[in-house]
Amino acid sequence: MADPIVWSIMLPLLASLLALAWPRRAAAVALGGAILGLLASIALLVEIGQQATVTHHLGGWQPGLGIALRADAFSALLLVMAMLVVTATTFYAGSYFSDRMQAQRFWPLWMMLVAAIAALLLSGDLFNLYVTLELLGLSAVALAALGNSRASLEAAIRYLTVGLLGSMAFLAGVALIYGGYGVLDLSQLAQQAKPEILTLTALGLMTSGLLIKAALFPMHFWLPAAHSSAPAPVSAALSALVVKVSVYLLVRLWLDVFEPALPATAGLLLGALGSAAVLWGSWQAYRTQRLKLLAAYSTVAQVGYLFLFLAVILGMTDPALRQQALAALLVLALTHGFAKSALFLCAGVVLHRAGHDRIPDLGGTARALPMTTFVIALSCVALIGLPPSGTFLAKWHLISDSITTGQWWWIPVIMAGSLLAAAYSFRVLGHAFAPGDNSGPMVHWAREELPALTLALLATVVLGLGAAGIWDLVAASDLYPGAAS
Amino acid sequence: MTDWLWLGFDAVQVIALWVLGWLACSSRDVRRAITLFIAFGLLLALTWARLSAPDLALAEAAIGAGISGALLLAASRDQVAQSGPSSAQPLILRGLINLLSLGLFVLLGLALWYGIPQPRNELMLEVQAMLPDSGVSNPVTAVLLNFRAYDTLLELAVVLSAVMAIVALGPMRPTVAPAGFLLSGLTRWLTPMLVTVAGYLLWVGSHAPGGAFQAGAVLASALILLLLSRLPNQPAINAGLLRGLLVLGIAVFVGVGLVSMLFNQHFLAYFPGTDGGLILLIETAATLSIAAALTLAYAGGHPADWDRFENRQLPDSAGENA
Amino acid sequence: MIDQTLMYGICGAGLFAIGLRATLLQSLLLLRVLALNVCGAGVFLLFVAIAYRGPAQAADPVPHALVLTGIVVAVSAMAMAVALGRRLSQLEKDSG
Repeated sequence: MADPIVWSIMLPLLASLLALAWPRRAAAVALGGAILGLLASIALLVEIGQQATVTHHLGGWQPGLGIALRADAFSALLLVMAMLVVTATTFYAGSYFSDRMQAQRFWPLWMMLVAAIAALLLSGDLFNLYVTLELLGLSAVALAALGNSRASLEAAIRYLTVGLLGSMAFLAGVALIYGGYGVLDLSQLAQQAKPEILTLTALGLMTSGLLIKAALFPMHFWLPAAHSSAPAPVSAALSALVVKVSVYLLVRLWLDVFEPALPATAGLLLGALGSAAVLWGSWQAYRTQRLKLLAAYSTVAQVGYLFLFLAVILGMTDPALRQQALAALLVLALTHGFAKSALFLCAGVVLHRAGHDRIPDLGGTARALPMTTFVIALSCVALIGLPPSGTFLAKWHLISDSITTGQWWWIPVIMAGSLLAAAYSFRVLGHAFAPGDNSGPMVHWAREELPALTLALLATVVLGLGAAGIWDLVAASDLYPGAAS
Repeated sequence: MTDWLWLGFDAVQVIALWVLGWLACSSRDVRRAITLFIAFGLLLALTWARLSAPDLALAEAAIGAGISGALLLAASRDQVAQSGPSSAQPLILRGLINLLSLGLFVLLGLALWYGIPQPRNELMLEVQAMLPDSGVSNPVTAVLLNFRAYDTLLELAVVLSAVMAIVALGPMRPTVAPAGFLLSGLTRWLTPMLVTVAGYLLWVGSHAPGGAFQAGAVLASALILLLLSRLPNQPAINAGLLRGLLVLGIAVFVGVGLVSMLFNQHFLAYFPGTDGGLILLIETAATLSIAAALTLAYAGGHPADWDRFENRQLPDSAGENA
Repeated sequence: MIDQTLMYGICGAGLFAIGLRATLLQSLLLLRVLALNVCGAGVFLLFVAIAYRGPAQAADPVPHALVLTGIVVAVSAMAMAVALGRRLSQLEKDSG
């Protein structure tokens, strides 16, 4: 009965249904769903701590005939991060929506997004992954469209069309795999994958689809508009979570399932695109005039870092070192998740107070919203990669791994990206500390500001100091033992 | 001899599908494109029947051609906004896109040719072996509602997400003109028949082609006809009932799944012996939900008292409508 | 390989390419959505062609179930795109 892997998905789903059927109490239902989902994900993590991988055969059927849910340290930690971000953002969102009508439409979709994230992270079947990708995409677009302005609708429409293209490509890949291997279960596929034209085509199609959804350069064009014109809690989830799980899926497919079939140059290509993303995204973040756009471009850059990591990992041959590098990638992903969501929530607070989020006009923010400014600073620490944040550990690991595998050419990119991140961070903070009109009093809105503070602290302090545990957990996992191991 | 005839038939099918698809995609006139698309959908249904997929043929005709076509036709009246580049893209970009599409076509063809030397029967044999334990005798229904029931559960969630988005965006499309006597007369005859057919499809899905999705689509067609014809004495749509119906399919599905997890260790494991009954229960709930969802999708927005249901406790906001 | 699997598989590949091309080139939302559906139909054809086992034998039911799921997902996505477009044109009309 106590199968947290199932409850992690079903609790948010039930919360969504309840919020739709009972709109008067929708906010409370959503908060309950978020907290219960968080507890379930923590329970799952505890199980992982005891047995390295957790599997649940849905319907009691053997995987292959039926669908299996699977979790290891990688997916369970991402799930806990997602649930933490969701819980904090749910707290925040309770006071964000001034329009009651909009609020009541938000909650069911919000919980559905959470269910989709959990379903994707825990799925072990290729077609099921397609369905979870669609669920994720549709709920994300629906939430992004809640902004109800021309800008947000245009961005949402573009997000939808591009996302659907990605899903179609993914599904085409699944069709080829089924035709060639006759299996849909990931562990069965891992045993059989061979490098041949069908596998490469299928992998290419699925990768293209996922790259679109992860917004890797040059398929990133939809992201800045969509993330910046959505309501702040939605932007937090989109940047911190939705993009992240597509990257997770790609890493899972490349490293665990399709490993024997990968061509050698694939890593270099991904690394090149990642470098372009880091540089272009950071540069645009430096130049932009709006805080939410800055955060969105920063996401583009951070996704680039994740792919740089993947490129380095692909260049490694020692499996133990690979697992360590994978753990570092995970720490980077987790830290960014917390830091980016905190930044977006702060942008929401600033928007509420000032009525706009134009960076040059942020003067007086530090005086009026000291806690929020502090949180922005903390998030920037995590985005740049200063100690003791998790990003610092991860980037250090990335640099040293680049040196050991002889792929030193990524290092200038990482340095340049960090410098640019420092530049845009100090630009924002400089404006925030500038004297503005001292009309408003100092404000402390605990409900609005506390969630962001918690998230930022998680990014900078907790992950940085507590990362050792993550290393151990990830080292122990081997979710899809392929034919080779 | 018959082999050659079939091969000829298939060649014609393939070319016709390509031609219709191409014309529908490259047409400038919206109405013409939609009509070609509906024809494409019907031809596709014929193709599914040719390829021994009668369940799919039913679903394609009802959903892919019928409801999608109706949806697009209704949408063509909206003067839907242009989004994206309003002028033609630069020549280089067009050339690249053409090259990309052609390249993908060739790549897919090669992958098919070299990658699938013979059919892989592992899963098919497993399904056949386990079919007696599944509670139904239609293998597609067995896969959909027993072996891979979780997929169907998530799919219902996808439908619900889309509907939640649609009702959040605005009120229903207003009916353009009152129905003439032909439509209202036809509706009086057709609606009870459609409801009966839907019930039949739901029931027969356990041992013959059919099932919840086909039944739900036919039921939705009946409701859409009612919407279109605006018969007198039509009861106003009760928002509370509508919310309940939308939620019902997934709720029953998850409920059955959790109860079976309680007694049988695995989510959606059902109970030995009652599989058939539970599947029918889930399918019935799903049919109602799908019908409500597809009708709302066609209507394009929320019904009039959707918000009044939300604000029931605030009598002064009774006049508010998004 | 069964003849029909190859023929209809290539048909599906062609439709996928046709739909993809049109999605990228079209400017009207409605027609782009239509093209996406054609693209989807191509993928469904791939599945069903792979499932075909000849006139004497029943086909593989698993891809049929997958395609059924896909058809429903496709129509939901299309309905959502249409609703978004309608709302956008309303906003454009309001703002003049």
